Amino acid sequence: MPIILENVSFSYSRKTPLETPALREISLRIEKGEFVGILGEKGAGKSTLTKLFNGLLRPEAGTVRIDGLDPSSKEAKRRIGMVFQQAADQLFCRTVYEEIAFGLLNFGYSKREAEERIYEAIDSVCLDQAALSRDPFSLSGGEMQRVALASALALRPDYLVLDEPITGLDPAGKKEILDTLRKIKNMGTAVITVTHNLKGFFPLLERVVLIKEGRITFQGSRESYLEKGCVPLPPIASMMKELRERGIPVNPAAFTVEDALEEILRVKSAFEKGSSLTATEGN
Amino acid sequence: MIRLEKVSYSYPDGTPALENINLTIKKGEFVGVIGKNGSGKSTLALQLSGLLKPGTGRVVIRGMDTRDPSRLQGIRKFVGVVFQNPETQFVGRTVEEDLAFGPENLCLPPVEIRRCVDMALAETELEKYRHRSPKTLSGGQGQCAALAGILAMRPECLIFDEVASMLDPESGIAVLETIKKLHKKGKTIVYITHNLEELHDADRILVMEKGKIKIEGDPESVFSDVFLQDLGLPLPSLIELAANLKTHGVIIPWESTTSPQNFAEEICRLFLRT
Repeated sequence: MPIILENVSFSYSRKTPLETPALREISLRIEKGEFVGILGEKGAGKSTLTKLFNGLLRPEAGTVRIDGLDPSSKEAKRRIGMVFQQAADQLFCRTVYEEIAFGLLNFGYSKREAEERIYEAIDSVCLDQAALSRDPFSLSGGEMQRVALASALALRPDYLVLDEPITGLDPAGKKEILDTLRKIKNMGTAVITVTHNLKGFFPLLERVVLIKEGRITFQGSRESYLEKGCVPLPPIASMMKELRERGIPVNPAAFTVEDALEEILRVKSAFEKGSSLTATEGN
Repeated sequence: MIRLEKVSYSYPDGTPALENINLTIKKGEFVGVIGKNGSGKSTLALQLSGLLKPGTGRVVIRGMDTRDPSRLQGIRKFVGVVFQNPETQFVGRTVEEDLAFGPENLCLPPVEIRRCVDMALAETELEKYRHRSPKTLSGGQGQCAALAGILAMRPECLIFDEVASMLDPESGIAVLETIKKLHKKGKTIVYITHNLEELHDADRILVMEKGKIKIEGDPESVFSDVFLQDLGLPLPSLIELAANLKTHGVIIPWESTTSPQNFAEEICRLFLRT
């Protein structure tokens, strides 16, 4: 069973003079094991949408169901793991160990089972076990982000929802988080991330949901998103699009350095042989 | 213009942040600073602007030593810093009020304050938002308003600490374009970032690691430095692609790596040879 949103609308400060519409008639379905990117400008409604997934906000119209459950039910909350942009906002315990244990003990897991899951979670986010006894607020931004992620993963959620998880991290920190998310996705967990870091996330995204002024204005594969060209593309994707427009038949879905290298060398070889050229796919 | 002489600095809890830094920023330069989290970039920004005093060594900003409290106002007029999150920098109820705050504190006469505010709004193309609350602006507009707040004090040198990192790509590009325009008008720019792609046009790039400047040079020499990737700093993707193509005998000149359009044009020229 998936996450299903049907005709969902939401306004902040509803029925007051400060009423601000945030989401309008959103319909969305997210299956287990998917990697979905929610894109859009600041204020578009992306973060509001993620807060509907775990019942932090309730829609004013429409329905949200997590595997058929009400998102504010305890079981739905276990199935949805949330990690916010400012990891420091969701940490409050004296040690990293207590921090990760908090959710587990609240859901009624025994201390023994909690311990097993804490070690598993800390490994999966590439944090040293020595960090377990540290004060979470003495950690670097990237390490705090990983503790927040480990706290969510310890509950083995079916859906992991992240709000800008790599903003402010250096390239090595970004790579570690992205590698962790790839692993989590491969284990069958759906990863739903709010991001504007196209370059970092694009190779991972299977589906893109673009939100503008509270409405979904695009929903589809990353390839069709690239073709539509509704936002600035990462440099490689932009260059490949330019090549196609100039009559060089490269695959438009190439957006990593490796993909572009392979495509350009293929075209070069075909030109040298003087054979007729076609794109490998998506043409 | 700004000179750091053997500057070291440790935070009060003992964490070393800068170690024996010697650096000169020349008038009109665009200097990019890159490095991992915790490498000392932001501490360097605070030293370059006189917001932190060095532990040892000295920082001299246009002849003014940052350790001399009587020179602080002179330093504030000369150098301004824009930080990552604009919302933490707003103090006014409207954009106009926010921009007036700096010049007021420099004790400028009202007519002069008005001129400074109008000029800063024009340079950042924010005139139509002058009566809006800065907190209702979009990410990119908010960052431009934070920049305008600094410009209103008419500094000659501007320091930007990861100003595009919280913005969507479109807004990030717009903010960087505004900064490049200011540089063309003669402002000295120090631009701190995690993203090497943004530093293609810099006059000079400093690569920091553990509080030291590890690599220094123009973009072409820094991007081809073999130690860059050892420091966990991946190359801009077009430059990495050009380096990979070179190993297969396809030579893309440096000038063609400046934009996707130029790169594609060079590939077409090589393959079509028309």
